[in-house]
Amino acid sequence: MEMQHDDLGDVKRVVLVGRLDTKGVGIVETSFGAAIVPNGKNTIVDISQVTFLASMGIRMLISTTRALSRKGGKLVMYGAGIGVKDVIETTALTDLIPLASNEGEALSWVAR
Amino acid sequence: MANPVRDNRCGLRSAAIVKGKLELVLNNTLAAIEDGSACMLDFLDRSALDESTQHRLQVVFEELVSNIVRHGFFEHSGQSIHVKIDHGPGTVKFVFEDDGTPFNPLAAPAPRPYTSIESAKIGGLGISLVTKYSSQLHYERPPQAAGGNGFSPQNRLVVTVAIPD
Repeated sequence: MEMQHDDLGDVKRVVLVGRLDTKGVGIVETSFGAAIVPNGKNTIVDISQVTFLASMGIRMLISTTRALSRKGGKLVMYGAGIGVKDVIETTALTDLIPLASNEGEALSWVAR
Repeated sequence: MANPVRDNRCGLRSAAIVKGKLELVLNNTLAAIEDGSACMLDFLDRSALDESTQHRLQVVFEELVSNIVRHGFFEHSGQSIHVKIDHGPGTVKFVFEDDGTPFNPLAAPAPRPYTSIESAKIGGLGISLVTKYSSQLHYERPPQAAGGNGFSPQNRLVVTVAIPD
């Protein structure tokens, strides 16, 4: 599991690569939160290269989004593949974290 | 079909095909998830499964093995998980047996619908996913008698997942 992040103006962009399973979350969770939460910026998360998502990954996304919201920031995901999107829809995660189809849409949603 | 035997992996104690079913014995380690899941997909012939089906089968395997190792076993113990996988017409049937603490995961309450990010509960998501991906799900306490190999299962969970023909 790998992660990169950068800034697009006032928006933080995070790219996740690999499997968000028990092992992958153990590797990336601390740095994911550290990249997003402290500055409270609106954040878009590119999950197009996430090849697997299970409950531990959902927990990470919810807990980080909650911590960010307490700082006044929003988080939007984008680019989910078939299997990952299936898990997101099955767990109704989009009731908490919006899922955009691409980066442009994600940027427009965090700007609302 | 690829050879599913990968006994050099630390999560996997043994793997064998018996009467057409894959039988895995997994060690008490989270590495059992990745190792066992790879064997499962080899056995089922991953090239014949669409992406969504592969993902669902891996989710079921991940959630149940992870749950047993993290909550049912004592750390660093020699406890194990025995998994049988049967690929029938339009279905994949799993039988998970473990010698951990007796626990019926199906008795846990389903997560409540989300109302806000602040109040969202994040427990129970794994079993909820397994329930939604399964066409049949059954838990039982096996009869308490050690098998010839010394394995004395405390929990048995039978999961059937429908797959496209």
